[in-house]
Amino acid sequence: MIYNPSYVKKRKIKSYTALFLSTTAAFLGLFWLGFILWDVLRHGLEGLNLELFLEDPAPPGIPGGGLRNAFVGQLLIVFYATIIGVPIGLLAGIFIAEYARGTKYARTISILSDIMVSVPSIVVGTFIYAILVKPVGYINWGGLVAVGFLSAIISVIFGGLLSFIFKLVFPVKSAGAGKFVRLLVALITVLFGVVVFLFLSQKLVDKIQGFNGWAGAVSLAFIMIPVVLRTTEDMLSLVPWTLREAAFALGASYYNVIKDVVVRASITGILTGVILSIARVAGETAPLLFTSFNNSYFTTNMNEPIASLTVTIFNYAMGPYEDWHVKAWAASLVITLFILAITIITRTIVGIKYKK
Amino acid sequence: MEKFLKRYPISDLIFAFISFSASFIVFSLIIATAYVLYDESSLAMHRFGLLNFIFSAEWDPVKEVFGAAASLYGTLVTTILSLLFAIPVSIGIAIFLTEISPHILKTPIGIAVEMLAAIPSIIYGMWGLFTLAPIMANYIEPFLQKTLGKIPLIGLLFQGTPQGIDLFTASVVLSIMITPFITSVARDALNLTPDIMKESAYALGATKWEVVKDIMIPYAKLGIYGGIVLALGRALGETMAVAFVLGNNHQITLSLFEAAATITVTLANEFTEADTDIYLSSLFYLALILFTLSFIILAIAKFFLLKAERGYTR
Repeated sequence: MIYNPSYVKKRKIKSYTALFLSTTAAFLGLFWLGFILWDVLRHGLEGLNLELFLEDPAPPGIPGGGLRNAFVGQLLIVFYATIIGVPIGLLAGIFIAEYARGTKYARTISILSDIMVSVPSIVVGTFIYAILVKPVGYINWGGLVAVGFLSAIISVIFGGLLSFIFKLVFPVKSAGAGKFVRLLVALITVLFGVVVFLFLSQKLVDKIQGFNGWAGAVSLAFIMIPVVLRTTEDMLSLVPWTLREAAFALGASYYNVIKDVVVRASITGILTGVILSIARVAGETAPLLFTSFNNSYFTTNMNEPIASLTVTIFNYAMGPYEDWHVKAWAASLVITLFILAITIITRTIVGIKYKK
Repeated sequence: MEKFLKRYPISDLIFAFISFSASFIVFSLIIATAYVLYDESSLAMHRFGLLNFIFSAEWDPVKEVFGAAASLYGTLVTTILSLLFAIPVSIGIAIFLTEISPHILKTPIGIAVEMLAAIPSIIYGMWGLFTLAPIMANYIEPFLQKTLGKIPLIGLLFQGTPQGIDLFTASVVLSIMITPFITSVARDALNLTPDIMKESAYALGATKWEVVKDIMIPYAKLGIYGGIVLALGRALGETMAVAFVLGNNHQITLSLFEAAATITVTLANEFTEADTDIYLSSLFYLALILFTLSFIILAIAKFFLLKAERGYTR
């Protein structure tokens, strides 16, 4: 029966039909992508001009003006989110890929952060609302954390410069003196960090008065942490174990091995993960809706509600004015181009770097 | 002590401690989210109870009576419908990418599909509201009413005046958004089928489709399930795209051509307007339900994917 020509023909027809349908599906996917991109480009170019970046919004219904407040607000929120999210994600990724490699703890954290990546972002918004917006009159912990990380990063850069200068000015010969200099530099760095933190937190962080930019930054950081963690973990586990063993054999401590061997070997991958996580949160709207809220005036004060591009797009698109719709499209175009450019560039870099 | 310090220098201990605390933050953030949402919703929990809240469709801020049924129904319908649209398409794309496509097209089409996942949801929302909704209202929905709408029983799903802002449009937008998630997982799973199994089937005279259907798909089953459940979790929690094209209307309708609400849309539209404690608490209750649901679903997805991974390395 199997060799019956008509049966073979039937099977062949069935096969070609199925393969044709699969190909159609692939073209359907391409069609949607092309349709959406073309549509964003077509509408977006209409409103794209220099005023969009340089001017503040005109009063509702009056044409003209731009979205400078939203661009600046978005930059600020994403900047602080990066400052909080990236160090935590990086360090956590290093811990579970190195110190805790292969343990149950590492597996649990890894699985949990995979789940966290996909947890609805609006739930993150409600959580941050409850802890950083609702308790009016309390100290803004989110702001303190952000400023803490900012001053830590500033002081690490300062410490690096300091030890570089010390090496230039007093070339150390003996091991004891070297140890002393290192201790001194570390001490000065820590002191410097504390001073910077005290100064900045006085200046930048206020008590909670309602919606505030810090809350927005923290909620984006919440989304960033698991993304950075997972890519860091994956990239570190690509580094061959023998490389570490070679360094251990030279008597290096694990900290030195991580700092000078493992991270150095995987730095491209790690940076790619960081940049992709920034692209990921740059398009987030839901967590900002009730944390940083929106502001139609220009502000750089993170203790107030602060405008972001995405929330502005949402409000403008839902608004009644034709001019608002044009601006929303233009802002959409800017965001889309930014994110797609980053995605394509990083993918290309990874493709070149990790090609087998 | 000296030996210990020599083996583990102080810098190592400090770094290990700092990085451990960072990794612990992930753990504590999830616990904190669950606890805070539970705590904030306790008022609504006491007032309405769990079952009463879930099965009551009344959502009336003025009378201060809240029930989640309408939002849950909207979430359920959009999620199921979008999966129905997305599953065949994305598995088709995965098959195309693994078996049919010429080698030179594999990477560009793969990247193109992944770009669908990179586009922010608010862009999908804009596109859905200003471009897709009018097309739906003017062409596709009237067409569906004229054809499928004439069939008894099934016709009930297509009643009403097509406006484009409804469950159907929202599901279409959602299905486009979740397609890349299923595709990339399914493609990876299909790719892992050992060549020797495919070759054996071809040697027995199987057609290409028979190899895909009888060898590759059974082999990649767990991975595909994982991808589908992952997409389910995504669709459940998607906010902005749906908020644009669903309206915000707390009603349970059989017709797909009516505005409705999902949990996420309710939260997005009403959270900043909640003026009473019980209103806000009910919204937190909704968020808690959504968090729990998506956590469970994503855990199931992870379970499938891990199991699939273990199966392949056997």
